[in-house]
This record gives sequence, structure tokens and C-alpha cells, in this order.
Amino acid sequence: MRTLLKNGRILDPSQDLDVVSSLLIEDDQIVGIGDETVRAEVDEMYDCTGMWVCPGLVDPHVHLREPGDEHKETIVTGTQAAAAGGYTTICCMPNTNPPLDSPALIDFILDRAASPEAGGVFVAPVGALTRGMNGEELADLYALKKAGIIAASDEGFPIQNARVMTQAMEFCVQLDLPIMAHCEDTNLTKGGSMNEGAMSAMLGLKGIPRSAEEIAIVRNCLLSLHTGCQLHIMRVSTWGAVEMVRQAKFLGAPVTCEICPMHFTFNDECIGEFDTRFKIQPPLRTQVDIDLLVQGLSDGTIDCIASDHSPHASHEVDVPFEEAPFGSAQLESAVGVTLTMLTHTGILSPLETVNKLSTKPAQILRLDAGTFRSGGSPVAQVCVIDPDCEWTFDRHKTFSKSKNTPFDGMKLRGKTMLTFSGSEIYRDAMFGDDRYVVYS
Amino acid sequence: MARHLLGIRHLDKDQIEHLLSLAADFKLRIIEDKPVPKLNKQVVGMLFFENSTRTRVSFEQAAHYLSMKTASFSAAGSSMSKGETLKDTILTLRYERLNGLVMRHRMSGTPTLAAHHFGGPVLNAGDGQHEHPTQALGDALTIIERKGDLDGLIVAIVGDVEHSRVARSNAWLLSKMGAEVRFVGPKTLIPAMSSMLPGAVFYDLATGIADADVVITLRLQKERMLEGMLSSIGEYAAMYQVNRDTLKYAQPDCLVMHPGPLNRGIEVDDVAADGERSAITSQVENGVFVRMASLYWAFTETEPKSEMNPAI
Repeated sequence: MRTLLKNGRILDPSQDLDVVSSLLIEDDQIVGIGDETVRAEVDEMYDCTGMWVCPGLVDPHVHLREPGDEHKETIVTGTQAAAAGGYTTICCMPNTNPPLDSPALIDFILDRAASPEAGGVFVAPVGALTRGMNGEELADLYALKKAGIIAASDEGFPIQNARVMTQAMEFCVQLDLPIMAHCEDTNLTKGGSMNEGAMSAMLGLKGIPRSAEEIAIVRNCLLSLHTGCQLHIMRVSTWGAVEMVRQAKFLGAPVTCEICPMHFTFNDECIGEFDTRFKIQPPLRTQVDIDLLVQGLSDGTIDCIASDHSPHASHEVDVPFEEAPFGSAQLESAVGVTLTMLTHTGILSPLETVNKLSTKPAQILRLDAGTFRSGGSPVAQVCVIDPDCEWTFDRHKTFSKSKNTPFDGMKLRGKTMLTFSGSEIYRDAMFGDDRYVVYS
Repeated sequence: MARHLLGIRHLDKDQIEHLLSLAADFKLRIIEDKPVPKLNKQVVGMLFFENSTRTRVSFEQAAHYLSMKTASFSAAGSSMSKGETLKDTILTLRYERLNGLVMRHRMSGTPTLAAHHFGGPVLNAGDGQHEHPTQALGDALTIIERKGDLDGLIVAIVGDVEHSRVARSNAWLLSKMGAEVRFVGPKTLIPAMSSMLPGAVFYDLATGIADADVVITLRLQKERMLEGMLSSIGEYAAMYQVNRDTLKYAQPDCLVMHPGPLNRGIEVDDVAADGERSAITSQVENGVFVRMASLYWAFTETEPKSEMNPAI
């Protein structure tokens, strides 16, 4: 079986490759990139003229909700949503119920992700850093690593005790395991539901101060510097956070960070009249933050873009603002939003866009993905994006169980058309029928 | 579409003036025992999810003056205590054909949520730390009666502004009507960034109430001390109590107001609360008439389009 992706703009940041050409997949492997592939005998051909052909996207931060919260999302629906978003490798977060703190649960995740009804993407589990994510005793990280976790994190229950965090980092250095840290001083955020600022003062909602995020980032960066533990900071939201990461990198700490599309698209005023779709952790900040976050993306301080796909059921979010959970469905909007907000505005080049959505997160978490290099991935992982496709996001046309998203009804430019993981796992309805040819 | 009273910040000056003149007219009619409009086919639900005596009685009295029926509801003993969501409670009341709702809730923004799901008018009787629009209307009516006008007055709001829906509604109303609003209190009890609220911030009482025409003292919740926002109640009283001594910085005829219930000896002393400059009992009395005006306004008029409450 030979499949030709013809005449697309091949973007592979791992090889600094940006060329209009064709890509040939034989069985489940990429066997060639270049104009000569067009002359090969093929079984099927996708005409990718005008589209980007890039390594399958890599999402370092996804909540699949299984086990425990299957009414929000399952591994099957979440991986289908990922495929539709262009992702071929996703990292799933450990704050399930029970948390992913034992090897048996990692086995369960990997089994479900490999099942035929799942979306066909690789799921790289992130294990709990402490037992039950209690922030006190370390989980069995050696056993978890052997079971297949690619990093450890206590996600939304960040370790408050600096001694425990130091020990966790020392342990992870020894195991060569990155720590992914949601940075929050929970003494400062207790009871808060949005950014502390003029808007929270007006709405009479308890604020989450920026210092809560920045203090935790500074602490974790210093511990990373002193222990040598690889630290990946999840979803930065303030200009101060970016500045702290910039300083940590300058000092030589092995630190990286991510941002999610919500944080470079919306500010706290978008909450308007208590709209819970805009409730996210850390909270949406201000326009000044957005401007400096975008600068951090542009200069590379912010390494990558994570969707922070945090699905919830509709009835869970149609409640008073303070009661609503944080987060929303993101996997199927991330490409459109990123291209609309960052690429078409000239902030990121197409190559840098793909780098932040695929190559860089794969490199940070040492995943076999994010590259077209031979041997870089167990099977062909490819994403085809039409960068100029104009469409309106419709939450009722998504694979995710969660229909809670602030992007509903938003006009976007740029859409995932095809996703391959070994073979085609997603083809968009807007990919023209005449662009796909089968030769018999 | 239904007309709601969710907050003062959603109203413009004309709407505020209209409500205040309706209230003044109702007051005159009640005092002179003249007829007032009858809304006797209307049933209004009194949804008090948070304890309240004065506001609840005031709304019930207002409804009775307008010949309305009231249906009472309290969270304890309702299906809310069995885990029903607020949305489902509101939908239930909607299909029980209640005509409107008066709602008090401990969380900010809940009347907005109710308005989304309830067909008829929703009146906010206090939501979390967000707004308490009828309190502000009653206060405004009281000030106008004593001072003639709001325009140009200096009004100091003293105390726990951070946690006060009364402070927010008053600040919106007074500033929209041309008064100069000042927030006075300790830094821990003033919003960190109040730039979207219309008031200047003072941490010193003497400076904050200098030349004030009106001083609105806010109730101090004693739990603020447990939360570390205050060193002690005594220290708060020493720094921020409105009393004979501190009132000398304000205008000689400065009105003293308080939304109640009072903590005598803490935020206000007896001399200030009961003296001739006190307008506290008028506030309570006028509360009934502005609630009549609010009910009448919401139940008899509709919005041509959703300009007042863009969220609805």
C-alpha cells in the first residue's frame, strides 16, 4: 500500500525543512519526501496543493477523564477528538479518579488507547507525582516509568511543600523523568475563580492573583536549577510568569513552558456577565499579559502550545460562576485558533507554528513524534492543515463528549484536513472529494 | 423580552431617574392613602438562598402594596438541599408559572444565570459580592430627600468595600448620577484593582471623609478578622469608626447611612447612628418604595431589545 501526499508545503521543523513537495507513505512508514516520489507507483493520492504537510501534532496536555469521569470524556472520544484536531500523539493528565499513580492504571490507559474504536493516536500517559496526588508521599515513579509514563505531574493539585518538591525532583533526576508542573500557590488562590483585577472587583468574584502563579514558578525553577531536574511548566498566563521562565533559562535551569490557546486569545473581560466558558486555571489575565505572552511565544521563551483540553459536561458548567469547574474542550479548535491568532497575524512563521504544535513538545517530552526523520516515529505521523480554510467552529460538530467551549461560533482561518498515524485516521468533510484519488 | 433588575451597572441615568421618580410617587400615594397600581394577577417568587430579614420583608411589603401575590422559597428544605442545580430549580419555578422572581444568593452572578433560564423578570435582591441594586436605589431616594439632588455630592463609602455588594451598587448609582464617590477602608478590604469601579480609594478615614456630604458605613463581618484581613476588631474601630470625632472632618450636615444590620461600637457608634444626621431609618422605609418601583418597572414594562442586559 503506497499513499502519496502530493504537492503540499512540507514543514518539518526538526530538519528546518519548508518546501513545496510530496511525501510518500508505504505501508505505515514515511519512505520519501521530494518531487521524485510523485513518479512512484501509488495506490492512493491526496492532492495537498496549498496545504501544509507537517509531522502529526503533539499535545503535551490533555485530560481524557478516564477512569472516573467518563461522562465528561473517554479515552475513545478524547482520542477521536485529538485525531480530528490533527494530533497523533497526546499526553494525558493523571488527575483522573483514581489518579494515575499505579502501573495497573497506566496499563489500562495504554490498552484503551490502543483499542480499535479509539482515535488511533498515541497516548503518552503522565503519571501522578505523589500518591493520590496528595502532595506528600512520592508515587512509585520507578514502576510508573517502567509501565510507560513519559513525565510526572500533580497537575491541578500542585505540591505546596518545597521539601516534597525537592525530593520529587531529586527522584526524577535519577529516573531521567521530566516533571510537568502546574504552578500555583494555593494559599493565595483559595476560593478564587478568575483573575484578580479590575474585572473581578467589578463582578464581585474572588480573584486569583498573578503572584500565586509567579511565586510557584520561581520556586519550581530554582529547585530545577539546583537539582538539575527537567521541569516543564504548564500553561503560563502572566507576563511575570514568562519573565520568570526567561530568567530561569538564562540561569541555565533545564526549564521549558507551554501556553494554551485560551491564554493568547482571551482576556478576563471576556467573562462578561459571568460566562463560565471562560473559567480556566490559571485564569484569563489582561491584554498586557496577552501582548507579552505573544512576545514570549515569538522569542521562544514559551516553547510550545498545549491545548489543555479539559472537557466537562454541559450541566456541570451551567451553574453559578464560582461553582463551575475550570477548563473547556480544546482539541478540535487549537489548530484553527493558533493559526488565526498567531500565524496569520505574522507572530509565528508556518515552520515555527508547526514547531510549537509538534516538534518542540515531542523534543521536550522525548516522544517519538514531531519529525519526518526516518526512525523518528514508530509509524508515519502526519497532519495536513489547510492554512487558509475559513470556517466557523461549531461545538455540535465535534468528537469530544464535551460541548463546552468558548470558541463556539468563532470564525477561524486554518483547519486540520487529514491526520495519519500509520494510515488515515481522520479526513475532514471540507477536504474536497476531488482531492482524493484511488488508483486500482 | 422580560425586563430584569440585575444590577445598577446595567442601568443608565434615565432609567435610574425613572425608577427613583416612580418610588417617590408611590411613597406619596402610600403616605396619603391614595390608590396605587394593582398587579393583582402577578405572582412573584421570593427566592432567598441566603438569610435575609429586612430585604425579604421589604420586598414582600412592596409586593403587597402592589396587590401582588408572593410565593416563598428558602434553600433549606427545598430540593436544592437534595442536590438540585440552580438551573433546574429556576426551570421548575418557570413552569409552575410564576410571573417573576426576587432572588438573593450568596454567589455573585446567580440572578444573571436565573434570568437566562426564567421567562419573566428577575430582580436581584443581593448576589454575593456583586450587586444589591434596590439597596442603592433606596439610599439614593433617601439622599435626594435630604439633599435635593445627587449631582455634585461627595459620598464616602467606608469599610469592607471588597466584600460589599452594597458598596458596588451604590458606587455605580451615585457616580452615574453625578456624585463623587470615595471608597475608604483598610487596604485588605478594598479591591486590589478597583479601576473598573467608579470611586477613588482612600486608606485614611479623615482624608476620605473630608468635606463629605454623605458617609455610608458598611457592616464589618467579624469573620474578616479570622481570615487575617484585620488585626483586631478594636484596631478597625480605632481607625475606621464613624463617630462624633471622625464626623468632624465631614460637612456639618453630613448624612450618616448604613445598610444594616449595624455593629454598634465597631463601624459606627450610637451618636452617629442615632443622631440627627443619621438617615438609617429613612433608608429602611424608602427601601419599600424603591422595591415597589422596581417590581412595577420590571412587571409592567418590557425591553424593546436586549440593550440593558447584553448578556440576556
